[in-house]
Amino acid sequence: MLSPLRRFGSWPVLVALATLALLAAAAHAFGQTPGAVGARQSFALLSGAAFGLVLQRGRFCFLCNLRDLTRAGDPRGVLAILVALAIGAVGYAAVFGAWVPNPFGGRLPPTAHVGPVSPALAVAAFAFGVGMALSGSCLSAHLYRLGEGSPTSPFALVGAVAGFVIGFQTWNPIYLATVAEAPVVWLPSVFGYPLWLALTLGLLALLAALALARARAGAADPRAPLTLRSAARAVLVERWPFLPTGLLVGAIGTLAYLRVAPLGVTAELGSAARTAAGAAGLLPSTLFGLDGLRGCATVVKETLLSENGLFVLGLVAASFTAALVSGRFAPARPTRGQVLRGLAGGALMGWGAMTALGCTVGVLLSGIQAGALSGWVFLVFVTLGALAHDAAAARLPTRAAA
Amino acid sequence: MKAIAGVLGAVLAAGLTAGAGAAENGALVTADWVADNLKNPKVKVFEVSVDPGVYERGHVPGATNIRWHTELVDPVKRDIASRENLQKLLSTAGVDKDTTIVLYGDNNNWFAAWGAWVLEAYGLGDRVKLLDGGRKVWEAKGLPLDTATPESAKGSIEIGELNTKVRARLGDVLKVAEGDQSSTLLDIRSPDEFSGKIFAPEGSKELAVRAGHVPNAKNVPWSKAVNADGTIKSKDELKKIYADAGVDGSKPVIVYCRIGERSSHTWFVLAKVLGYDVKNYDGSWTEYGNAVGVPVANLTGTVWQGK
Repeated sequence: MLSPLRRFGSWPVLVALATLALLAAAAHAFGQTPGAVGARQSFALLSGAAFGLVLQRGRFCFLCNLRDLTRAGDPRGVLAILVALAIGAVGYAAVFGAWVPNPFGGRLPPTAHVGPVSPALAVAAFAFGVGMALSGSCLSAHLYRLGEGSPTSPFALVGAVAGFVIGFQTWNPIYLATVAEAPVVWLPSVFGYPLWLALTLGLLALLAALALARARAGAADPRAPLTLRSAARAVLVERWPFLPTGLLVGAIGTLAYLRVAPLGVTAELGSAARTAAGAAGLLPSTLFGLDGLRGCATVVKETLLSENGLFVLGLVAASFTAALVSGRFAPARPTRGQVLRGLAGGALMGWGAMTALGCTVGVLLSGIQAGALSGWVFLVFVTLGALAHDAAAARLPTRAAA
Repeated sequence: MKAIAGVLGAVLAAGLTAGAGAAENGALVTADWVADNLKNPKVKVFEVSVDPGVYERGHVPGATNIRWHTELVDPVKRDIASRENLQKLLSTAGVDKDTTIVLYGDNNNWFAAWGAWVLEAYGLGDRVKLLDGGRKVWEAKGLPLDTATPESAKGSIEIGELNTKVRARLGDVLKVAEGDQSSTLLDIRSPDEFSGKIFAPEGSKELAVRAGHVPNAKNVPWSKAVNADGTIKSKDELKKIYADAGVDGSKPVIVYCRIGERSSHTWFVLAKVLGYDVKNYDGSWTEYGNAVGVPVANLTGTVWQGK
């Protein structure tokens, strides 16, 4: 492989630079709108770009990080997730201290993803886990893999839109049966901020210790002398280590919550599905209680691109840029298996994300960071779903691994 | 951000000698006036926004958040906030007997105006002001925003009993519908709601069974009172707009909309800016249009979502 410096000037780098310039120009243009709206839009685009960059460079993907540990004994990806949760929890605690000085006052922090804890959440998270294992990625990773030219991801996203529509169809009976009276548990209102934070960090440390206990010794990491070339390789080509990746995801999550909204990647997708389904007459005339719940809101679209839409657009564009430069942009013709697994896994994830009000980012990451019990429940059941799929797949030797 | 506000406040507080009321006598205050009075202990600013998270992500420094859907209404029965709850809200925020209360919010100050009307109903009218243009103007001017939640020592405010001078009930409106000409009825909804073409604006969940308007009501949409930048038009312009529709202040006025919040905006314009005698009918079309046996003017004939 050519060194990144040598490749400077080749077409992938030129396309990457042009994409970056376009992103910067768009962010600048949004920022020119007077008032806070333009500033928020600009921030949404740029934070999405930062998130996409970190996802791609750190390979921050919930499924592959889990499989790295369970299949290869490599704990780094899981550690990155745990670091992101810990740093985000600390960041959210700092924001909560200013916004909701008294957590016992009976109010939830505004817009934080603190969702209802119901059997439906567990089932939805499990289905999401199966879907991500089947399609090879969770939804956020499919978005950044779109930027890498993945042959499965477009089908997974199409499947997810269909899954959302199925989710809207099944929402009313599920809501009436389990969600309407489900408790919304915000852990700081139970424990207070200091104890909540201590418990969260303690539990994450325990999970990190378990991950490390499963780790198998890999090849030693030979430290190359730091030169301009090796530094450039480390930043532009090699996968980022878990610690900066986790720190950055946690920091971006905190800043996004402070300025615009908690991290989430399904609101725009779900809104598009809801608007399209509504236009096609596939939507129940009323979705009970949906618009009053916390999470990745799927509102009927009024604007072409919401703030979440800009965030996702920034994510895909920046991931595309990073993939080009690191030589990971590898579009391929999809095989029939990839198409089918993408569509089926995507549909399961879409149904799960609609019913759980978000995905591994919106419910798991932004929920646990915000002290939501719903985030922890999602973590447990999405993991079980993915492991159940992998265990079942292992018994079917004829099928190619996803 | 705080430091900027602090410096600004300190510089300007030095120039303040005569107290808050002296600078602005009207019910509207400008964003600059509010910026100049951020450190004035006799001025207390409240944000009343509809969208969640707007206040927390940046508000006028020192402003206290009011959640209109639980704090300015009764959370159980359909009614305005009780005296006890409002008293508690204001004293916790540090409002004293002689504090000037400034309200502002998103969406053209709709709910800030609702707050001004509720406070008027509890007898606080003269010291309640609206920041002209609300959040929109504050943001457009690039004035400082803060994310901290202020805490205050308990204030000495004592609010009075609810008076009905500014509040109309179904019976008052019915009189006009049946031909009583001692007051003028003003519907401030959009022309399509007024004519009965639609039941409510897109996305509204609270609806009426019947479309149209109260017979004998005039129609001046609330937005006619507002400039493009969000500020309220000049008195002369306002007088002309409403006089053209037959509302000139010579008779008491009753305003209504769908749930009574947009009409608070027009109530504020007519009562507090122009000084007319105005009542807000907070039951509005969601009460009247659901009432059995009352006369309705339905120009388009929309019935049960069809014709």
